[in-house]
Amino acid sequence: MTDPLSVPAERLDQHLDEMTCLLYVEGQLDRSRAQEVSAHTQDCARCRTLLHALDRESRLLTRAMLEEDEPFPSRLAAFQQRARNSMQWIWGLVLGLAASGSYALYSYYVEPMQARFEQAGFGGTNILNLMIFQGAFWKGWESMLTLLEVLAMLTIAGSVAMFLRRRIRRGSAFAMIVAGICAAATLSSPAMATDFRTKGDNVEINKDETINGDAFMTGHHAKVEGTVDGDLYVFCQEADIEGHITGDVIAFAQIVRISGQVDGNVRSFTNTSLISGTVNKNILSFSETINVDRSAKIGGSVTAFVNSLTLDGKLGRDVLAFVNAASISGSIGGGIDAQGNSLRFNSGAVVGGPVKYKGNNAPDVSSGAKLAVPVEFTKIEHHTNNDSGFFIWRIIWTAAVLLFGMVLFLLMPAFARDSALAAEHYGASFGLGVLVLFGVPVAALIACVTVVGLLVGLSTFTLWITCLYCAQIVVGAIVGQWLMGRTSETWQLIGRMAVGVILLRVLGMIPHLGGWVKFAIVLWGMGAIALALYRRFSPANRVLTAPASPMTPPLPPNTTIGNPQPAM
Amino acid sequence: MSSPGIAEPTEAIARARAGDTQAWGEIYHDYAPAIFRFCRRALPTREDAEDATMEVFMKLKGKLNQYDPSRPFSGWLYKVAANHCWDTLRRRKIRQDKETEDSDEVPLQHPDPSQLDRLIEQRSSVEVRKALGTLGKRARMALVMRYYSDMSYDEIADALGVRRAFVGVVLLRARHELRQVLEGNAALAAGGTP
Repeated sequence: MTDPLSVPAERLDQHLDEMTCLLYVEGQLDRSRAQEVSAHTQDCARCRTLLHALDRESRLLTRAMLEEDEPFPSRLAAFQQRARNSMQWIWGLVLGLAASGSYALYSYYVEPMQARFEQAGFGGTNILNLMIFQGAFWKGWESMLTLLEVLAMLTIAGSVAMFLRRRIRRGSAFAMIVAGICAAATLSSPAMATDFRTKGDNVEINKDETINGDAFMTGHHAKVEGTVDGDLYVFCQEADIEGHITGDVIAFAQIVRISGQVDGNVRSFTNTSLISGTVNKNILSFSETINVDRSAKIGGSVTAFVNSLTLDGKLGRDVLAFVNAASISGSIGGGIDAQGNSLRFNSGAVVGGPVKYKGNNAPDVSSGAKLAVPVEFTKIEHHTNNDSGFFIWRIIWTAAVLLFGMVLFLLMPAFARDSALAAEHYGASFGLGVLVLFGVPVAALIACVTVVGLLVGLSTFTLWITCLYCAQIVVGAIVGQWLMGRTSETWQLIGRMAVGVILLRVLGMIPHLGGWVKFAIVLWGMGAIALALYRRFSPANRVLTAPASPMTPPLPPNTTIGNPQPAM
Repeated sequence: MSSPGIAEPTEAIARARAGDTQAWGEIYHDYAPAIFRFCRRALPTREDAEDATMEVFMKLKGKLNQYDPSRPFSGWLYKVAANHCWDTLRRRKIRQDKETEDSDEVPLQHPDPSQLDRLIEQRSSVEVRKALGTLGKRARMALVMRYYSDMSYDEIADALGVRRAFVGVVLLRARHELRQVLEGNAALAAGGTP
């Protein structure tokens, strides 16, 4: 390959090569070389003709390319309009879904649950208890999960179809892919490492049955009498684990009874956990009640966030508990670190390590209890908030929000502006806010207990919490802009955000009305953030919204060809 | 690479950067036809060009913060379009036959100036466009970048991933390929005696 810029200068009695002529015409030669070429073409008709031909060729190319030989495609002309229309359709759907979902949620789930809860004798104040310990494992969730799963599948299928549509233009190729997916779906699936037991109200692993790999069970009542050579995941109302689990048990249930043997850990999120069998490693439990029976043996430690804890069995290591009432009659190899309302050591209790207890009431230690060292008790001091302290904390929290908002605005100025702009679409923001506020935690919960994965669920939930906190910042920015005028400059926007946030927090302190203000802020802000995220990650809808209009004349590039031409 | 007749959309760009969708609409309205034509010349089919035009404008929003307002917007836009089209072409395994003709080892023979001049005079724009559609992807891309959007040799080198000094060679080879198609026989493209 010849380097065009290293072409040696021709003598005047030789012709210029085509590359030199082209570079001259294109204005790419250095000044001295261009002068040589120019001088040569004064005397050489052949080279002058070549320069002329090359120049005409350039002009012909430009003219041919610039000519409008076909109209601007209607598809592109309608692109803007379609984008806007599709947005309207999407928001119509979102709002429709949100409205239907809210109604269905209330009619079929909240109202019956509330009635059921009141019948059980609980007041309406302890809604957290209702949601976490009763509602989460209510049987009705199964049908709701099915509905949400179908919606999730439809959403994924729609996204995949959109993704493929953009990349596969040929219908035949698309048909082949769809046919392939259908064929794959109809073929029997190969043996999998995870065994799923999800059919029917009662799901079982029989006594003579061995699952080689993890087992996943959902239903009203799950019962394990056989062996699971792996981890066991249970999501049901009632679970009985009487067999042998060589791995861990992860249970989401109203009642879990473990009378068999678990070689690994037990992690339970339940109303009631009853353990009378053997757990070789540790127990981590978020429950209303945990009862470790006298016959139970736990090799490791117990970490419990519970209302009531009864430890009558044998525990190899320590206890860490946040508990309302704890009662210990069994043997604990390690120490105890507990915080709560009451702690009682019954006769027969043996504790090998130190006991630290922080609570409202002094520990009750029976004379028959054997503690290695006396209980180190710290009484919880309850501070009453006087008005000045309350307001000081409000100011501190407001300052923290403003600082957080400022950092966010500086780190992500474009996204902050996008979110503030999105908040101006009130209907879309509120509609999406409803969807995100209620839908995302449920989706995250589903993700935690399905094959989608715990990590995805926890990440989603973390993001949701973050959005919850950021909602007031976004709404503050838009309220600030209402008061002080629009701006696209980051620091000015931060100033407006600060004014808006302060105002919103003052409004939030108004008795009775404040709660509704906060709720509206959360809905509005979360919706705006979700809308901004949607626009950012959905290119088809983020580009253009101006209405389609007749085409403008073509944009003529300013083609400049060559140096001044030699005299012909 | 400025665009005479169309003022630089400085204000619209600033608003678009701030997230104003109406400003995006204005930019699209003014520049989409030219970008479509660029893509139409560079890519094999009309459908490809339509897709590419939309994708270029989609990319544009993410890249807008990288735009230096002191330089012509249309030039920057053409660079984005050129990079997109070239990426599209490179990803596709089409025109393998033409790929072999892109070989840089084939020596170029000097054309007969008079014959070349006559050929240029006799050929119409329509014929040139048809011929352009039959060229190898690099030849076609190089000609479009240079003679449609007036991109500099440096910009062409960047887009095609070749040395700047090689751009002239690419353009010359592209012209030879084009002449060969226009002539319908290899005689002229192969060149007469210098």
